[in-house]
Amino acid sequence: MHETHRVIGRHASEFEALVRDEWMVALAGGGEARLLWYLNHAMGSGPAYEVVTITAVADGTAWEALGRRMVEGDLAGLATRLDSCRHEVEGKLLVPVYWSALQDVDLATVPVDGRTHPLSVYMQDTGWPHAPLDDYIELWDHDYWQIMRQTPPEKKLLDIQACFQVAHGSGIRPEAILMQKIMNVDTLGRLLTSAEKHDPTTWPGTYMAKGLEVRDQWESKLLRTSAWSPLW
Amino acid sequence: MLFIHEFHKVVGTRAEAFEAAYRERWMPVLAEGSDARLAWYFDLAHGSGLAYRVVTVTAVRDGAAYARLAERVARGDLQSWARDLDGLRHETHSRVLVPLRWSPGFPELSEIPAGAASREPALYMEDTMWPFPGKLRAYVEAAGAVYRPSLQAEDARMHMHVALGLETMPGAGRSPEVTLLQRLSSLPRLITLLTEDIPAEVTGPGSWMHEALDLRDRWRSRLLRTAPWSPLP
Repeated sequence: MHETHRVIGRHASEFEALVRDEWMVALAGGGEARLLWYLNHAMGSGPAYEVVTITAVADGTAWEALGRRMVEGDLAGLATRLDSCRHEVEGKLLVPVYWSALQDVDLATVPVDGRTHPLSVYMQDTGWPHAPLDDYIELWDHDYWQIMRQTPPEKKLLDIQACFQVAHGSGIRPEAILMQKIMNVDTLGRLLTSAEKHDPTTWPGTYMAKGLEVRDQWESKLLRTSAWSPLW
Repeated sequence: MLFIHEFHKVVGTRAEAFEAAYRERWMPVLAEGSDARLAWYFDLAHGSGLAYRVVTVTAVRDGAAYARLAERVARGDLQSWARDLDGLRHETHSRVLVPLRWSPGFPELSEIPAGAASREPALYMEDTMWPFPGKLRAYVEAAGAVYRPSLQAEDARMHMHVALGLETMPGAGRSPEVTLLQRLSSLPRLITLLTEDIPAEVTGPGSWMHEALDLRDRWRSRLLRTAPWSPLP
């Protein structure tokens, strides 16, 4: 369950505390859902006061039960207080694509105690192909993921931790999402300041050129974990 | 019951093929099982908004049925249907919705026809509201207590009724957001609404229009026309 929260700036700390101290704890009371990531959109790289949370849910029955608790059950009060701290939230249900490293989560192993750790930064890429979605997902597999796996660790900018597509009926189609942990901040700096133009006429055969056959619209978000985010 | 609400931006030259994909594949395939049914197929009425926009509403039994359906579309027997559809539309924005506490009853899935009916199109006004932060519950209650009954009043400005009142299922769309699917029974009243100023007594203090401004001031209306074969009229 991927949620993008447009938080009211004055309530940003209150919102984070509600998620950490009440939402995460409420989920921990059962065995069917866990908050995985709490991510702040890095200021200076996009919208201000935007938070992304990703919650793992065991299955469809668990998701419906959680949703009904929020709409009309014991979590309705918390849902209203969260609503009071944000302008809106945009949610979508995601399922891992066939080649995603993350296919399932052992919910029992996810920390729920708010333990702190160093911060890490993710590059979340969301792409909207003009070709069939399946072709885009395959391109990511063959021409991006497979190649990245062969890159030596010391040269790696990104580690693709998960790749998702939107579950039918719960968001945009065609859309797919890469959750990529940034492994080397210096390399990120070079990427941001590089003037290289990936023109397909001058870069034949590259991923950047081949990718244009299936999509030319995507968005990268630089998301920084909170110090207590269960996964980081 | 849950509802998958999809707003499709259809490729104009493929509009007929897109409609056929729902009529001849999605609707009958769902009817073979007991998890889900296509409920409505709507065209956004030309002249009232964006062109080549289609709204579909699919009723799903529960969360488990939804997960099974999503799996079939992602990598099961409906994957090829979804792939074909990718070539017939630019994109689709969809969400999973749950009925409001006071929403009218909805037929059992087995009661929803899956044959290609043919009837006169019906017109719906689909209103989607975005309550202020923290006001979702208050808005839902007020809409049920004040707005819905007002549509039944003898002096109602609009002759329509709420067929389905919905809010976003957490994690599967935008929130706070409420959608009312309202079936019109009088075209002249709609034309009056479109062509004349709203009288002061309708917008003044004490009126729904006025008082509900404490809960929301943004909404969007879409005029949707059922396809002749839409399972529900």
